Amino acid sequence: MHYGFAIDQQRCIGCHTCAVACKIENNLPDEMWWNRILTDGGAEMDIPAGEFPNSTIEYVPVNCQHCANPACVKVCPVGATYQDPETGIVRQDADKCIGCRMCVAACPYTGVRSFNWEEPQFMLGMDLGDADAPKHQKHTVEKCTMCWHRVAKGEEPACVEACPGRARIWGDLDDPESDVAKLVASRSKKQLLPEKGTNPSVYYLV
Amino acid sequence: MSDINNGVGVIDDDFNPAAAPKAREAAGARAAAWGGKGLAVGIGVSALIAAVGIVLWVMQLSGGMVQTAMRNLDSWGLYITMFMFFVGLSAGGLIISSVPKAFGIRGFGGISKVAVMSSIAATVAAIAFVVVDLGQPLRLWELFAYSNLGSPLMWDIIVLGTYLILSCVYLWAQVQNEKGKVSHTALRVISVVALVCAVLVHSVTAWIFGLQQGREMWHTALLAPWFVSSALVCGTGLVLAVCAGLSRAGYIEFGRDSQVKLAKLLAVFVLVDLYFFGCDLLTEAFPAAGGMEVVAMLTSGPLAPFFWGEIVLCAVAAVICLVPSLRTTPLLVVASVAAILAILCKRVQLLVGGFQLTNLDLAGPVTPATVTGWESGLQGAYTGMVYWPAPIEWGVALGVVALGVMIFLLGVKYLPLRPKQD
Repeated sequence: MHYGFAIDQQRCIGCHTCAVACKIENNLPDEMWWNRILTDGGAEMDIPAGEFPNSTIEYVPVNCQHCANPACVKVCPVGATYQDPETGIVRQDADKCIGCRMCVAACPYTGVRSFNWEEPQFMLGMDLGDADAPKHQKHTVEKCTMCWHRVAKGEEPACVEACPGRARIWGDLDDPESDVAKLVASRSKKQLLPEKGTNPSVYYLV
Repeated sequence: MSDINNGVGVIDDDFNPAAAPKAREAAGARAAAWGGKGLAVGIGVSALIAAVGIVLWVMQLSGGMVQTAMRNLDSWGLYITMFMFFVGLSAGGLIISSVPKAFGIRGFGGISKVAVMSSIAATVAAIAFVVVDLGQPLRLWELFAYSNLGSPLMWDIIVLGTYLILSCVYLWAQVQNEKGKVSHTALRVISVVALVCAVLVHSVTAWIFGLQQGREMWHTALLAPWFVSSALVCGTGLVLAVCAGLSRAGYIEFGRDSQVKLAKLLAVFVLVDLYFFGCDLLTEAFPAAGGMEVVAMLTSGPLAPFFWGEIVLCAVAAVICLVPSLRTTPLLVVASVAAILAILCKRVQLLVGGFQLTNLDLAGPVTPATVTGWESGLQGAYTGMVYWPAPIEWGVALGVVALGVMIFLLGVKYLPLRPKQD
C-alpha cells in the first residue's frame, strides 16, 4: 500500500479551499500553511504571465510530496521524521523533534516544511478542526500529515474532501483499481522536481 | 563579523608586552599558573561576555526563535555559519601539531601544545553553536537514545565529540610525554588517530551540506575536500596569529624559522583553497545551465561582497606569505587575519547561498514566518541577501565566541602549554 495524491491542474481553479480546509482541520497556528496554492505565472499570486490575450496561468497546489525516497527522513538525526512502512506516508513526530531544522534544509520542495518560530498563536483563541489532529509545539518542525488522523479512521484527507472542483484525488497508488491509480495510469502527468530523485507520491495531472 | 574582530581583539589586548617580565616571574614562582593582570582581565571579560550570551540564549528560547532573523525559507543563519567556521578554525592547531609527529618530521618548535589548545577551544565553540541553534536543546539526549546513524548531522555529532575528546587526550599525552611518562611511539599513534579524526571532522561537516540534493550550491562532491582545505587556511591563520601574540607576551618562543614555515604552509593552503573554488565555479558555469545561477549569485549577485571579499583577502594573505621580504611578524599577522576573514566570507556564501536559490520559484501566500524579508513579498525578500542576522543572534554568537576565547585563555593560564625547555 502506498497512499498518494493526484492533483488535476485542469480542474484546479486556485480557490485555496483545500488550503483553508487543511488549516481548519489541523488547527494550524497563525502564519502557518501546510498546503499552499502557488501560481505558475507572473511575479505575484493570481497574476498571469505574458500580455493579454497571450497570457498564461496555472495553479500548483503544493503540500508535502510524501516522497517514496524522502530526503528529509535520511537527515533527521533522531528519527522524528520517518516514513510509515505500511502506507508510505512521511510522518513527523513533534514530541521527538529537537528543532535542528536539518529536514527543512534537506527538503527540495521549497516551503513545504514549517517551523514554529514561537509559541503557536491561534486567531480564534479556541481549537478548531479534528480533536485527533496533531498538537502544535513551539520550536518544532511541522508539515502535512496527509491527515493521518483521518486516514486512520478510513476517511479521506480534508483537502480532498473539501475541493469544490474535485481536482484532488487521493488513494492507494499501489492498487490498480483505485481512482488515483487509474488517473495516474491514464492521464499525462508530472511530479515536482523529478530530477531530485525523491519520487514524490503527488502526481500533477496536466 | 564584528564579533570575530572582537574575539581576536580580546586575545591580542590581553597580552600586554609590558606585563611580560612580571609574568615570567610569576610563572617561575608558580609553575602551574601563568600570566599577569592582563590575562586575568581577559579571562574575566570573556567570561562576562559569555554570561551575557547565555542570558540572551535563554531569552531566545523563552521568547521564541521568532526573535532571530531565521524563517522557514532560510531556516539556518549566523549560528550554523559560525559552526562551520569554528569547525574549520579547530583544524589548524591539531593538524599543525600532529602532522610532524605522525610523519616523524621536524615540527614547529614550541607551539605544538598551544596549537592543540586553540583546537580544543574552537571545537567547544563549534559544538556550542549547534546547541544555540536548536529549538529544543532539552531534547539533546534523544541524539543518543534515538540516533539515526544515517543522518550526516548524527555523524557530525559523533565525530565532533570524538574530536574534542581526542584533542584533550592528545594534549595530555604531549604533556605526559615531556615528563617521560608517555612513550614517543604512543604519542605518535595518538597523533595519527587525531590527524585522521581531524580530516573526518571537516569532511563530515561538509557532508551536512554537500549530501543534500535539494540545494544547488551545496550538492557537490568537492565540498568535503574543500572544507578540509578551508579549515587548513583559517586554522593555520589562527595558529600563526595566536602564536605571534603569545610570543609577544613572552609566553612562548615563536622563532623566525617556525614563522616562515607556517607562512609558507598558509600560502599553499590558500592557493589550494582558491584552486578548489575555481574548479567548482567552472563546473557550475560550464554547462551554462542551472549552475549559472550559483555563479551569477556569487560574482555579481547578492553575495558578491562576500565572494570578492574572500578573493581579495586570500590574495593579500598569499602575497604576504609568498614574498620573502614581506614576511615580517606584523604583516604575517595581517596575512593570518586576512586568511581567517576570507574563510568567514566563504562560510557566509555557503550558508546564505544554499537558501538564496529556491527550487520552486512560484508566487504564493507569504506570512511573517515564510522568509526574513517577507514584508516586501517573495521577490523583494530575494533581491538582496535573503538572510541577515537579527541583533539577538549577534549577541548570542558573540557570547559563544567569548566562551571559546575564555577556554583558550584559561588553558594559557593554568595548563603547562609552554615548551619544556622554558
